[in-house]
Amino acid sequence: MLELALVFLKIGLASYGGGWTIVGIIKTEVLGRNWLDEAAFADLVAIAQITPGPVALNTATMTGFRVHGFLGAVVATLAVVAVPLILAIVVGMLAKKHFAAGSRLSEALKSATLGLLAMTVWAFAPSMASAWYVPVLSVLAFCLSMFTKLNPVWIILGAGCMGALVFTFL
Amino acid sequence: MSDASKKAQPGFWSIFFLFFGISSVIIGGGYVMVPVIQRAIARKGWLAEDEFYDLFALAQALPGPIALNAATFAGRRLAGLRGLLAGFLGVVLPPFVAILLVAVLLDNLAGLKPVQGFLKGAYAVVPGLVSAFAVNMVRKRNWTPVRAVLTCVASIAMIVSGSWAIPVFFVVAAVAWLSEGWKRC
Repeated sequence: MLELALVFLKIGLASYGGGWTIVGIIKTEVLGRNWLDEAAFADLVAIAQITPGPVALNTATMTGFRVHGFLGAVVATLAVVAVPLILAIVVGMLAKKHFAAGSRLSEALKSATLGLLAMTVWAFAPSMASAWYVPVLSVLAFCLSMFTKLNPVWIILGAGCMGALVFTFL
Repeated sequence: MSDASKKAQPGFWSIFFLFFGISSVIIGGGYVMVPVIQRAIARKGWLAEDEFYDLFALAQALPGPIALNAATFAGRRLAGLRGLLAGFLGVVLPPFVAILLVAVLLDNLAGLKPVQGFLKGAYAVVPGLVSAFAVNMVRKRNWTPVRAVLTCVASIAMIVSGSWAIPVFFVVAAVAWLSEGWKRC
């Protein structure tokens, strides 16, 4: 149990950017320690995907649950968010002024963040090419999101329900 | 802090329920939750769009799931430590409960056809939503030639860097920080 907490503390410290990077880190740690085999981990990621919320967080909760039951789920979840939460509090208190909108640091981080976003968008290329409906729906979602005030929640839920209907009945 | 934000400072529960609601329904990972959070907060009149992008840039620079960081930083900006905790709990609780329910009760949920179809549909719009978020962030930025060049270089560098993306992120941030200071002297 202590090992579980330490591993997820470490993962929380090393987890940068989007969820899928973090899932990759968790996979390396979990498989490397023989806590789960590859098939069990793939199953677990599938469940993390269909449950709402950040995938990285869900994968951590699920791994804890599989390894140590309910208590493991609590420990893994708390451990993986401990470092980000503490940093958010500390950085927030220390740097109120420096992070004001338009400040030097904030503008510097924006250049880097836009780079990271560009990388994320680029990484979607394989999924865009995987099936004809992915680019179609993506372009539609892009336009809806750019040119209307529609909340993206409805775009996701709408596309999901459409997918459920089409996939079940065709 | 601007007057506008003081006037509309929301309480713990309204922030909590906003994030609780978002985290309860959004499937598709952090980069999808971020634009949803942005829209929701802007619609309530709590935070201007460009201010949110500043918070997002900072949230990106710290470790942790990006959706969680975006929520805690937005919460803190809205209502201090109270707001930070409200954002944190709001994002963390729904998936925690959902995942245990699924794990205990519906172990074969992922194998059901409607569920698979729902996932295919929901994940198909993710690239579009994330691209729109990126374009909006680009549109709202206060551009200078130096910032434009650095951002282009950063994008290309990170796309080719693979697993070195995070070190590249910090190198770019450092170079950008130096260039911002040099300009002001």
